[in-house]
Amino acid sequence: MTTRDIVLVALFAAIIVVLGLLPPLTLGFIPVPITAQTLGVMLAGCILGARRGAAAVLLVLLLVAIGLPVLSGGRGGLAVFAGPTAGYLVGWFFGAYVCGLIAERFVREDQPELAQFLAFLAASVAGGIAVVYLFGIPWLAYMSGKAFFETALASMVFVPGDLIKAFVAMLAGRAVLAGYPLLPQRA
Amino acid sequence: MLNGLDIEGNSPLHRMPVRGKLILLFAAAIGLFLVSDLRILVPALGLSAFLYLSTGIGFREALRRVRFVLFTVLLVAAANYAFHSLHEALVVLCRLSALVLLAAAVTATTSISAFMDEITRLLRPLERFGFVRAADVSLAVGLVIRFVPEIFARYGEIADAHRARGLPVRPLTTLVPLIILTLKDADTIAMAIDARGFRRH
Repeated sequence: MTTRDIVLVALFAAIIVVLGLLPPLTLGFIPVPITAQTLGVMLAGCILGARRGAAAVLLVLLLVAIGLPVLSGGRGGLAVFAGPTAGYLVGWFFGAYVCGLIAERFVREDQPELAQFLAFLAASVAGGIAVVYLFGIPWLAYMSGKAFFETALASMVFVPGDLIKAFVAMLAGRAVLAGYPLLPQRA
Repeated sequence: MLNGLDIEGNSPLHRMPVRGKLILLFAAAIGLFLVSDLRILVPALGLSAFLYLSTGIGFREALRRVRFVLFTVLLVAAANYAFHSLHEALVVLCRLSALVLLAAAVTATTSISAFMDEITRLLRPLERFGFVRAADVSLAVGLVIRFVPEIFARYGEIADAHRARGLPVRPLTTLVPLIILTLKDADTIAMAIDARGFRRH
């Protein structure tokens, strides 16, 4: 990685931290307030690409582990990784990577707008939701003991909120690509 | 704005080396998952709570830090109670809360610089194979801590600019300028770092 890549990774990690400091968004039509932080995971992949995006997420997780309260709601420290939902945090890293891979592969600057939107949406849904749940749910199920099926099922209440985030990531990813493209310069 | 979660003190946990604490925490995690006997798990939870409070953290602050994680633990235990048995619920509750409290105790007794030193040491073998440079990791950590307050202030400015123009502050219309303005700084920051020769090749 060049110095510029390291700075981009650090700045994006800082953006993810700031997204956790903002008050959760409440949308009228779903009951669970949405924290913007997982949106940052999708955006890291969509904007920085696979390697740098995953590095930015890993940097945030490192800050959590060394005891900085950088997760939404001022959470931090090793206790977060000991809890039943730690799998989602591990999933963030792989999610950002997959999201970046899909965005790098399918988004071109000379495409029509609609194709770009669809590619970013596919990247956000596959990386930011599917991969994150792929790590989060088995982990939660393992930690839950005998009630693994019920807790896994209950975590599905977050899917609608995550779909909205994927949609926001799609719009923002495309807007940043138009305003300040970083994705094409593969790192 | 970004303060570490470590508490000043001189308890036995404070004096222990970081690596020892992490190895013990890892061993405790494995042990807790191998045992499902309440006669062991309940004392283990008591011991974890005692260790956590012995770091000199006040009760209120101690609870504030772990309440979210403990809440998820409680939900998981409630699911076990509702669909299986009280015994299962208590096993899960004691096991997970003990682990969470132990992890919080390690965080409360380890300063950020001590953690970074340990991470630099752990990265050294990887450095030999050319995967990552330990100095780059500490540079990146430093940059994040330096820029979070700045980016947060910038978000406030963008939100103010919306209000001044009578626009609603929407996530999308604030996020895009925030990201573009922030990432545009990367070139000048990278130049400044290279000009000072922080990353020798």
